[in-house]
Amino acid sequence: MAAVFCYPSVFTSRFDNFNTDFYQSSYSVDDQNQGGYGYSNSENPYNKQYGQYDYSQPTGYPSPGMMQPQQPYTGQIFQPTQTYTPSASQSMYSNSFEDEPPLLEELGINFDHIWQKTLTVLHPLKAADGSIMNETDLAGPMVFCLAFGATLLLSGKIQFGYVYGISAIGCLAMYCLLNLMSMTGVSFGCVASVLGYCLLPMIILSSFGVLFSLQGMMGIIITATIIGWCSFSASKIFISALAMDGQQLLVAYPCALLYGVFALISVF
Amino acid sequence: ISRFMSVNKLKYFFAVDTRYVLKKLMILMFPYTHQDWEVRYHRDTPLTPRQDVNAPDLYIPTMAFITYILLAGMALGIQKRFSPEVLGLCASTALVWIIIEVLVMLLSLYLLTVHSDLSTFDLIAYSGYKYVGMIFTVLSGLLFGSDGYYVALVWSSCALMFFIVRSLKMKILPSISSDSMGMGSNAKPQLRLYITVATAVFQPIIIYWLTSHLVR
Repeated sequence: MAAVFCYPSVFTSRFDNFNTDFYQSSYSVDDQNQGGYGYSNSENPYNKQYGQYDYSQPTGYPSPGMMQPQQPYTGQIFQPTQTYTPSASQSMYSNSFEDEPPLLEELGINFDHIWQKTLTVLHPLKAADGSIMNETDLAGPMVFCLAFGATLLLSGKIQFGYVYGISAIGCLAMYCLLNLMSMTGVSFGCVASVLGYCLLPMIILSSFGVLFSLQGMMGIIITATIIGWCSFSASKIFISALAMDGQQLLVAYPCALLYGVFALISVF
Repeated sequence: ISRFMSVNKLKYFFAVDTRYVLKKLMILMFPYTHQDWEVRYHRDTPLTPRQDVNAPDLYIPTMAFITYILLAGMALGIQKRFSPEVLGLCASTALVWIIIEVLVMLLSLYLLTVHSDLSTFDLIAYSGYKYVGMIFTVLSGLLFGSDGYYVALVWSSCALMFFIVRSLKMKILPSISSDSMGMGSNAKPQLRLYITVATAVFQPIIIYWLTSHLVR
């Protein structure tokens, strides 16, 4: 808050009919009242422009250029009486509390999208929609990683470290490869998100491994099928999101290598 | 990383598609029926691998290298000799041999003032193609035992030697005609031939060296 007061010279030069003490006192009044929420919600249009900065954070101080009002700085703006009434401020504060976006929306977790992406993975033969990967969402993949580790734990293999290490290295390698192979680039979050979602069939494999042993002929066939399923859906999503043509098998092969390593962990 | 190498140049080597990869793998394993080894150009720039099957690419060598490392891990795991340190050792040994080979090639081309348009990436690509042969050798060694290993070794060595000689011949030797303004550049064409043949002979040695301990 004190950082805002570093610009008093600007004010004294431009608005010399007002002393900065006046400005400061009204400001500190608002500061006493819940950190500027009343300030940001008062009626004056200048305040609306001014109030976009959240003064409750110490890092958010505006540049001097933004201090210029769009109307003459008349001074009614900072009447202590206007914003000082506690009831008004409190009602404004509670308004902004109700106006806050819900927690899940703020965190970026959108259950509908998560479900949609999961369905895309579970139906590998259906064509994928390229726009679903526009927002990178790491909540779903995190859940799947933890579920994979949990199912491994159920079969007695305490190897969280390997899972995380291999997924980090694999994501990095896929990120480099896709950036080199596609016309448009990808972001690392997008790659991590897609690879995490396509880990879902691996969870099915490792839960099989809890019940039956996977080292017979049947286990090898199931493992191969699931690796194929994972890499096919991962490559399908990548192809549709990055508009690469004729390269689906080429993208599927490194995905298959990565998921093969995961399968090795769950089988042996 | 964009200060070390131009990313666009690197992207040229990854502009591949499935058809190219399949055809290239066929050529690597059976190069005797391939007729036309010339790398096609389009107004002075070489065509991308998508359009020209003779162009070198880096997708196949990279994937083959990673597959080789994973296969080595699996082979050691089957023989109960697996541990992550051994995997790291295998990977770094293979990487070091690639680096040595590329450096030797670069040095010999430079010292003998051979003006070819082989860039570093081209050399990395050509020396990475032997990993395809190595994978084939290790797989047949695992599936068919020691006899299968030696048969596959001989087959892939011959195919690879043929491939390297035919490909590099196009790139190293014709530069004689381009700068024949003296300078001794068309002196010692045999040296260029020796380089090509030496590269080719080096391949089976390295294949044997890097795979024999996996198929015991």
